[in-house]
Formats: sequence, C-alpha cells, structure tokens
Amino acid sequence: MNIKKTSLYATASAAALALTLTACSGSGSGGSASGGSWDKNATVNIGSLYEPQNLDNTAGGGQGVTEALNGNVYEGLFKLTDDGKVDKLLATDHKVSADGLTYTFTLRDGVKFHSGKQLTSDDVKYSLEKVIADDSQSARKSNLEVIKDIATPDAHTVKVTLSQRSISFVYNLSYVWIINSQAQNLKTTEDGTGPYRLDKWTRGSALSLNRFAGYWGDAARNQKAVFHYYKDATALNNALLTNAVDVVTSEQSPDSLDQFKNNQNYKVNDGNSTTKLLLAFNDKAKPFTDVRVRQAVSAAIDDKKLLESVWGGYGKLIGSMVPPTDPWYEDLTEVNAHDPARAKKLLAEAGYAKGFDFTLDTPNYDPHPTAATFIKSELAKVGITVTINTITPDEWYTKVYKNHDFTATLQEHVNDRDLVWYGNPDFYWGYDNKQVTQWVRQAEEAGSAAEQTELLKKVNRKTAEDAASDWLYLYPQIVVADSKLSGYPLNGLNSQFYAYDIKKKG
Amino acid sequence: MTGTDALEPARPKNAARAGRRVRGTATLVVGCVLAGAIALLALVSLFWLPFPADDTSGGRLTGPGEGHLLGTDKLGRDLFTQVMTGSRIAVEAGLGSVLIAAVIGVTLGVLAAFAQGWLDDTLSAFLDILIAFPTLLLAMLIVAARSATLGSAVLAIGLAQSAVVARLARILVKRVLAQDYITAARTSGTSWPRTVLGHVLPNIWPTLVVNLALQFGLAVLAEAGLSYLGLGAPPPNASWGRMLQEAQATFTTAPAGALAPGILLVLLVIGVNLIADGLRDTLDPATRRRRT
Repeated sequence: MNIKKTSLYATASAAALALTLTACSGSGSGGSASGGSWDKNATVNIGSLYEPQNLDNTAGGGQGVTEALNGNVYEGLFKLTDDGKVDKLLATDHKVSADGLTYTFTLRDGVKFHSGKQLTSDDVKYSLEKVIADDSQSARKSNLEVIKDIATPDAHTVKVTLSQRSISFVYNLSYVWIINSQAQNLKTTEDGTGPYRLDKWTRGSALSLNRFAGYWGDAARNQKAVFHYYKDATALNNALLTNAVDVVTSEQSPDSLDQFKNNQNYKVNDGNSTTKLLLAFNDKAKPFTDVRVRQAVSAAIDDKKLLESVWGGYGKLIGSMVPPTDPWYEDLTEVNAHDPARAKKLLAEAGYAKGFDFTLDTPNYDPHPTAATFIKSELAKVGITVTINTITPDEWYTKVYKNHDFTATLQEHVNDRDLVWYGNPDFYWGYDNKQVTQWVRQAEEAGSAAEQTELLKKVNRKTAEDAASDWLYLYPQIVVADSKLSGYPLNGLNSQFYAYDIKKKG
Repeated sequence: MTGTDALEPARPKNAARAGRRVRGTATLVVGCVLAGAIALLALVSLFWLPFPADDTSGGRLTGPGEGHLLGTDKLGRDLFTQVMTGSRIAVEAGLGSVLIAAVIGVTLGVLAAFAQGWLDDTLSAFLDILIAFPTLLLAMLIVAARSATLGSAVLAIGLAQSAVVARLARILVKRVLAQDYITAARTSGTSWPRTVLGHVLPNIWPTLVVNLALQFGLAVLAEAGLSYLGLGAPPPNASWGRMLQEAQATFTTAPAGALAPGILLVLLVIGVNLIADGLRDTLDPATRRRRT
C-alpha cells in the first residue's frame, strides 16, 4: 500500500520537476505538448455525492465542505497529508514551553488572502476563536476547548496558552481554517489563503474553484477544479463513463467497479479510509453490561463474510476502533474473532444459555439495513433474537446519540484518531472503564508522541478485549479516475480531497 | 334510461353490450390468471419456501442457476425465496390498505351524503384536503409516530386511499338518494339504516368494487415505493420495494435481483387493473339488468 503510494508520488514530483525545467527554457510557449506532459490550464472535473450544506465548516457545512474547500480554498497552520502525517503549512515554526502549556507559532511570510489582504496573527486568533465560539458546530470544538488564551505579540507570532497539556493540539490545528478576520457571509462566499479561490457555487449541481494567482506556494497544477454533485452512485458512475467527470472521490459500492477495472481508460485505486462500521452496544443497558455477552455477540458474527457481502473483495477487517493510518494501530482482529462455539459458551456463562432478545436501532440507509439483516441471521445461530428497528439519521441523533435510549445500534464512524471517545463515559455507547479513562487523559497530557502512542495502544487492546463495541469492518476508500489524471489523493482521511496536485494529460 | 332503451332499435345496442361483456370476461380472465398466479405464490410462501428466509449460505450474487432458481443476493440469500415472501407482503399490503380504505371510505362517504348544509361542506372540504395530502408525507408522519413496519405503511396508504373512496361513495350515494325508489322505500316506512343496507349499498357497490380493485393496484405500488425509501416493512422482510432498492447498486452485474421483483410488481398491478376493467364491463348495471 505504502510502496504503491510513494512510487506514485515520486513519479508525480519527477514529472513536476521536468515541467519546471522545460517551462524555464522554452520561454512562454504554454503548457501542452507531446506524450507524458500535462496541461497547466486543464479543468479537472471531480464527481462527488457530498454537496456542502453551506461553505462554513463551523456552521454545519457537512463533510462536503471539507472535501471541496479544505486545503484547496482554506488552509490551516498545519495540514494532514494524504498518508496521515501532520506538516507545517501557514506556520513555519512552532515552539512548545517546557510545561507543554504554551505554544508559540511563527506565521509564514507573504501569505495573502484571496481578497488581497496580508495574513496576520489577528486572523489566526479570529479563526481559532470562531471554532470554539458558543455557536460553533465544528466537530473539533471539544478538542480545542483546552485553549485558555490567544495572544498576538506581533503580526507574525501567535501565542496560545492551554489550560492543560494536549499532545494532539498541533494535529487538531490541521482542522482549523485560517480565515480573514474581516470576511463576511462565509456560508456562501470565502476568504482563505489556499491555492484556489471560489469561482461559483451552483446549489444542487456544482462548485467550481479557480487557481489563485497570488498564492504563496507552488501554484495549483490545474487551472480549474470543479466539484460536480450527484444524488446517487449510479448517476455518478455514468458521469465518469461519459467523461462528464474525470475522477470520483469515493465509490460506495464494489459492483459498479468492473466497468472501470477492465477498461484501460480508467484507474481504480484502493486506498485507506478511516470509516468504520460499528455494532455499538449500549454498555450501560442490559444485557450488554456483561462483558461476556458483548464478547459472545462479537464472536458470533462472521465479519469477514459481512465485509465480503457488502464490499466484494475490498475493505479490511479491524479488531478495534483504530484504523491502520492512526499511529497507535495494532492488528487485533484475533481478539474476539469469529467463533460461534465460544460465543455459545460465553452466553451460557453469562446466564443466557437460551439466548435473549434485543432491538437493533438501524439507520435506514446503506449499508446499515444489509448489515442488520446479516447480524440477525448470524445471531439467530447462537440463539439470540434480533428485532430490527429502522430509524432516520435525525432519530438516530436524538434517540441514540443524545438520549442514549437504545440497546444496540449500527453506525459508521468516519473520523480518524477517534479511539479516545472510549475514554468518555458519557459518550453514547456508555463504555465506562476508569483505567481506560485515565489512560486516555494521560495520553492527551503526554510529553511526547511516543508516550501518547504507548498509552493509546493500551486503550486499544483493553477496549478490544472488553468488546466495548463490535467493530465490523473498515471501509475501503476507492477512487476511480480517468487514466489521463495523476496526483489525486488516494486516502479519504477526514474526507478531504486535495485537488491542487492533480495533473491532466493534454 | 330503460325508457329510452325501449324506444331505440334494440339489436345493435344489445350486440355492443354483449361484445363489451365478452371482452370484459376476457380481460377478467387474463387479470385473474396474472394476479392469481402471484396470489398463489403468496399462499404457498406461507407453508413452504425453497430456502429458510435467513439462510445466507449461498454465494455472493450468484446468477440464476442450479440450486438457486433466480440466484442469490449480496448476503447469499436465495432470491426466489425473497420474491415469494415479497409477493405475500405485496398481497397483504394491497388487501390491508383496501380494507381500511373501504371501511373508512364508505362510512365517511355515506355520512357525508346524508349530511346537509355546513356539515356537508366541511366533510367534503376535509376529504379534498386529505386527497391533496401526499401519501408519502402521511406515511412519514405515521412512521415517525409509530415505527417503520408494514402495519404503518398499510395504515398510511389505507388512510390516504379512504379519502378517494369516500369522495366517490358520497357522490354515488347522493345520486341514489335522489331516486324515486328511495322516496318510495322511505314513505313505506323503511328505516334509514335498512334503506342504506337494502337499497343504497347494493346500487353503488359495482362502481365501488371496480374502484377498490384499482386502489389495490395503487396500494401495492405505494407499499413498494415506501419500502424502497425504507419506510415500509423493516429488514429482513423481503418487500419487493426493498429488494429493488438493495439491487439498484448491483443492477449491471446481477440484474436478476432487480428484474425479478420489478417484473412481478408490474404483473400484479396489471393483473388487478385488468380485473378492475373486466369487472367494470361485466358489472355495468345496465348490462346486468338486460341479462336478468
């Protein structure tokens, strides 16, 4: 996986270098030429199912806004690369005080917003405050509430004081867009520092981005990136087949892939996602208060067969909440692996030799109903009767997530590094283990990344052994692209899709 | 009517009527064969299925062939088993909805026909509003209040259809009430309930039955639509609508999953519509009178 990716990047940068050289020698002859060269002024058409609700990621813009704008239009002090590393972006340097509570960031010189204004420390302060404001709907709000004070000693320096140590602080900053403090109407317009500026957003159909001439770094490798939005996967695939789009950000079913796999005009890429399908027990509701019952249910379900059913040959099995791209990943698929005989034994030990009944709250969209049907059939084999209750996403949010009024549910969890939620006893699944809570807290306050990783590995193993939830499988991230395209991101980390490195052959 | 008939040359009119009746019988037979075949499938599914409903031992999306007549779905369940279960759900949905529509609709319709003045206006306005109210929205409200089950879907469809039936019943009853024989029955001392049961209902039922048969077809389609949207029978119930929805993504690679429920749905609806057409032709009151 990694080998493939690195080699792709290597060829991409070699090609970029080649072009810079030719561009220098042949003065102003304009991009396109023979064989392997690419068109500097190309328009890249990107097909997606996730249209933003609005353009503000602190006002419930949804995953579509991250996909289209993160890294393309807006930039953070740091960025999360496609292989999960945190790199400097608008910050050129950062220093942490000995007690780990004060972070001093030096801002990059010569960064301009799309409106023309220079980036200053005031904009950074404004942007951070926007994420932790009372009305912010940012998913990262709670992670950044450790911020106690933001000071701006000069235009190029930002000093952030935390109320407690937070090893993930720099990583969390990769989600914070730096926005012009004077910008207005951020739900429909933008003012960021990224390689593209927003050209036009036609609701219900497309959002187009134009290369920003005043960008501080390397210019985008294409003139225009247009996100086209589709309501269903079939329409999206047809758009790719008819060249209406050049690349599909993530395929949602394996069965439409054959038409691209056997066609040399397309390339099917199998990357890593961070999306996990969970059978989440309410660990505070009977009978799932008993760890043996949770282990039994986990052992009774053949995850491999379910993954094969839903995703054909794609996707991966996971034995815990941690996907391979998180630093504290360990292969725990052998913990509570499929073993119906052991499941029956555990049930008998827990006093449920004759099985029991429970209701499974199932979101009404794919793949949940399919997974629920499969789980019902698997658990019937060990004597457990499942009643499937289909609910809408809204109902899930109020009934399950807010009111904890459920016995078990199915849900996809898309975020990376979200193992730490098992350290919060008030989270919807109600996993309450004092030791785990302490480890998670210590990990966040750790002095080094190594120490953090060590502690979270312990959390990982403990929650897996406790079958805190049943992690059914990890989704594949399948990007299908026209073979004329290169340089597109392969992993769906945090659902971002950097378009600026995409090159299109002329 | 009968008066004018007597004055005109009887032969051609009779021939035309006879022709209509023969054609009516033919449509009726074809309709009964189509709908009957599916009803039979539904009936058999109560006692026997090729595979247990939750048997996932077949391979993923195997095509039609040995062992599995229509192949299997993503989870390895037999498609023919699901299609059979689906036919039972479709027939249940159709019958259930039509029953609700008939009971509520006819009762409301008769009451509305007897109502005078503002009550009449209010009732008809209420029915008009109910008709204008989308079935889907009604279904979503009911599903939100109860939960997504076949019962909720049937209730929603039945309620929506009862408005259509009620409006029709009201007009029919009003027309019958204006007839001389009703006045005659009333003056001879027959009570209102007996008049309704003995004179009104027998005179309106042919038209009503035809309409109810049409409503049956619509109800089957509506249930498939609701299940497609996840508002009908919950999984693992193999409603045809749900099967269509599940097979949508795999249509190019495994078309049987969508074709089988789709074709059966069309056949059932065409079948009951033909029955409705046939009934209309054979139950035509004028024709019936001539025959007896």
